[in-house]
Amino acid sequence: MNFLAVLHKEMLEQWRTYKLLIVAAVLVAFGLSSPLLAKFTPEILKAIPDMPPELAAAIPAPTLADAVTQYVKNMSQFGILLALLMAMGMVAQEKERGTAAMMLTRPVSCETFLLAKFTSLALTFAASLILAAVGCWYYTLLLFAALPWGAFLALNGLMLLVFLVYIAVTLLCSTLTRTQTAAGGLAFGALILIAGLGALPRIGDYLPGALFGWGTSLTLGADQSAWPALWVSLGLIAAALLAACLVFRRQEL
Amino acid sequence: MEEIRQYIPFLVPILIIQLALMIAALADLIRRPRTKGPKWLWAVVIVLVNFIGPILYFVAGREEEIKE
Repeated sequence: MNFLAVLHKEMLEQWRTYKLLIVAAVLVAFGLSSPLLAKFTPEILKAIPDMPPELAAAIPAPTLADAVTQYVKNMSQFGILLALLMAMGMVAQEKERGTAAMMLTRPVSCETFLLAKFTSLALTFAASLILAAVGCWYYTLLLFAALPWGAFLALNGLMLLVFLVYIAVTLLCSTLTRTQTAAGGLAFGALILIAGLGALPRIGDYLPGALFGWGTSLTLGADQSAWPALWVSLGLIAAALLAACLVFRRQEL
Repeated sequence: MEEIRQYIPFLVPILIIQLALMIAALADLIRRPRTKGPKWLWAVVIVLVNFIGPILYFVAGREEEIKE
């Protein structure tokens, strides 16, 4: 079976297991609510009864930058969480149920099997992120002002790349372990490790998390690039998928 | 308060998404012969817990039918 046939099966699976629906619903909901929340928060604070007038006056008016940072914050948290949740069962569950062995007795190579899974999830996240970005762009336009669409597109592209890193790493975890739960736990450990290292001053510039800052600064017109983090992210994706292939080939199903 | 009221129409699409998730989860729950844990409990969780309820059901509650 060729790659496209396996990918087609995986895409059907994305639909049948509601993964596409979940990712799209969550990301779009946060895409829409981020600019709204940025606009709302000061108004809600001002509506608190008995708020001293000096304090109410000190609350800054919401800006375009608030909308963008809110969007990036929500997307980074929930996008990565979804990447873990959606990818953790992809290999482990098929091993548990024995369907992986069934697939591989047909002429499907390990690479095709894993790459089709990765690609199907990548497409799910890309489509959902496009919808979310359009929603966020439109709401920001209505509530604040127009965002530069080229830079905003770049921001979303960079965010997608970070999600892909976590999808690839979680797929590797899913290959290493026997059950979905163990895969989720292992992937969460990796997430903590990557996020923890990312918080360190110098090392952080080389890790996927730096891409969020780069995207935000692009959209807000600053220039704070993070090319090393981009290359490291691409490298991490390639390394995780390669490692998953090597491990998977040696496993007895 | 007036200022907040004018933003209410913005919430409609978000409510629709939430409703769509809930309906999809309930439809799946009704058609599925077996779930992990009691069915009525999942129905309560799906209906009462916004957003998280349906997603929790999709991720943890569905029991795959074994084919062949």
